[in-house]
Amino acid sequence: MYRSQKLALRYLTAAATLFGVMIVFGLLSSLYYLYPSMLFNVFNFNMSKTMHIDTLVIWLLMGLMGAIYWYLPKELETEVEGIWLAELMFWIFCAAVVVVALVFLFVQYGSSNQFSLWFINQGRKYVEAPRWAAIGITLVMLVFSYNVIATSIKAKRKMTGILWVLVIDLIPLVAVYLDAFPADTNLSTDLYWWWWLVHMWVESTWEVLIGCVMAWVLMDVMGTQRRIVEAWLYIEVMLVLGAGILGLGHHYFWIGTPRYWLSIGGFFSALEPLPLLGMVMHAVYDAGMHRLKTSNQPAYYWITTEAFLNFIGAGVWGFMMTLPQINMFSHGTQWTASHGHFAFYGAYVCGIIAVLYVAKQRVSGVEVLGGNRWKWGYGLLNLGMVGMVMGLLLAGMAQAFYGRAAGGSTLMAFTMASENPWFTSGMYARVGFGFVFAAGYVMLIYDLLTAPRALPRAEPQAQPEPA
Amino acid sequence: MTPDALITTTVLMGLLVLAGGAWAVLYCVGRMRARGALVRAGIASYGVALALALVIAVVSPLDFGWKLLIVASALAYAAIPPITLRYLERMHSDEEAHS
Repeated sequence: MYRSQKLALRYLTAAATLFGVMIVFGLLSSLYYLYPSMLFNVFNFNMSKTMHIDTLVIWLLMGLMGAIYWYLPKELETEVEGIWLAELMFWIFCAAVVVVALVFLFVQYGSSNQFSLWFINQGRKYVEAPRWAAIGITLVMLVFSYNVIATSIKAKRKMTGILWVLVIDLIPLVAVYLDAFPADTNLSTDLYWWWWLVHMWVESTWEVLIGCVMAWVLMDVMGTQRRIVEAWLYIEVMLVLGAGILGLGHHYFWIGTPRYWLSIGGFFSALEPLPLLGMVMHAVYDAGMHRLKTSNQPAYYWITTEAFLNFIGAGVWGFMMTLPQINMFSHGTQWTASHGHFAFYGAYVCGIIAVLYVAKQRVSGVEVLGGNRWKWGYGLLNLGMVGMVMGLLLAGMAQAFYGRAAGGSTLMAFTMASENPWFTSGMYARVGFGFVFAAGYVMLIYDLLTAPRALPRAEPQAQPEPA
Repeated sequence: MTPDALITTTVLMGLLVLAGGAWAVLYCVGRMRARGALVRAGIASYGVALALALVIAVVSPLDFGWKLLIVASALAYAAIPPITLRYLERMHSDEEAHS
C-alpha cells in the first residue's frame, strides 16, 4: 500500500468520525425546535447549528481528499509527490478542527472586534471558523493541490482524462475559498461574494471532485472501462457546470442584488435537473450491464443510490422551490433545509460512503465484499434521511403557507406558523427519523470496523441483453 | 400568489421532474430488458410529465416566461432518455469492439 493510501485511510477515518459528530449536533439542533429553551444561555441553537453545518463541510472535504489520496497513486502508479507535507498537513488540519470545535463549544462568540474575527468566530454562515483556521484550511488546500499537480507532472505515465479534470478543478476550488476571508460591512455585497464560496464549492467544484471520485470507483467496483467513465465525466462536468455556475443566481433572489438575477437564477436553476436525468440513466444502464454483480456490493449500491438520490434531492426538491415566485415564500424555511439535507446526502454522502467500502475491501484483503450486515447501515441511513426530509418538507411547506403566503411574513405570522400542528408534527418526524439515521450511522461504522466474511468471486458480466 | 396556488404549483413542479425521472428509468430498463410493458410505462410517465407541464401552464399564477420554460423543459425530457441510451449503447459497443 502506498503512503498516500495510508494517509487516505487517516482522512477517511477522520471524515467518518466527523460524520458522527455532525449527526450528534444535527440531533441536538432538531431538538431546539421542540424545546426552544433547552440549554438556554449554556449552548444555544446558533452554536449547535454552526457545529452541525461546519462539521458537514469539513467531513465531506476530508472524505473527498481521502478519496483522492486513495486513488491518485493507483491512477499514476507512483507515490504522491510531497507526501510528507501532506501527512504533516493532515495532523495540522485535525488539530485545527479540534481547537475550533472547542472554541465553538466553550467560548462560542466574542465582541465585535478583530480579536473575535481572528480567534473566535468569523460569524459568516458555514465559514464561521476564525480567520487563523481559515488560513490553515487554505494552506491544507494548497498543499493538497500541490500533491495532485506535482504528482501528475512528475509521473512518467501520461495524464489521464480524470486527472486533467481534477487538476483544472483544483484552481477554482482553492480560489473560491478565498471568499471566506472578506468581512464587508455591506450585507448585500458580503452575501454576494459569500455565495460564490458556498455555491461554487457545493454546486460546481465539489460536483466535479465527486465526479472524478465516482469515475474511479466505477472502474474499481464495476470494471467499467476508462474510456466510458471519462467520456461520461466530460459530459457530466459540461452539463453540471453549464447549468450550475449561473444557477448561483438562485441565491441572489432576495439579498439586495439587481433584479436581473431573478431571471438568470431561475432559468439556469430550472435546467439543473436535466444532467441529473442523464446520470440516473447511466446508473441504471451500468446496473443492467453488470446484472448487479460486483466485487464490492456495498460500494456498488451506494454509488447507484447516489445517482438516484442526487436526482431526487437536488433535481426534484430543487426544482420545486427554484423559481423566484415560489422561492420568495420558501427561502429560509425548513423547506430549504429539506432540500439541503437531501441534496447533500445524494450528491456527496453516498459517494464518500462508497469510497469507505472500497477502502475497507482493500484493507480487509477480501476479493469480494458483500454479505448482509452492510444492508442495516444502508437501509437505516436511507430510511432516516428520506423520513427526515419528508418531515422537514412538511414543516417547511407549513411555514411557507401559514407564515409567508397567508400571514404576510410578519413576526406574528412566523410565530403562529411555528406553533401550527403541521409544522410541529413535521419537526417531531424529523427528530424521530434523525434517530433512525443515527442508528444507521452506528451500523455503518460497526460494519466498517468488523472483519468481512470471505465470499466467492462473482465476475461482472458486461453483456447487455438484446433490446 | 395565494397560499393554495403556492402549494399547488410547487407540488406540480416536483411531480413534473419526478415523472421525468420515471420516464428515464422505465424507458432505460425496458429497452435493456426488452420489456415492452416497461417502455410503455415509461412513455406513460412522460405523458404525465407533459400533462403536468400543461397544467402548470394553464392553472399556475407564474409569469408567461416561466410557464414557457417549464413547457420547454418538459419537451426536452422527451429527448433525453432515448439520446442518452443511444449514446451509452454506442459507447459500450465500442468497448466490446476494443476488447
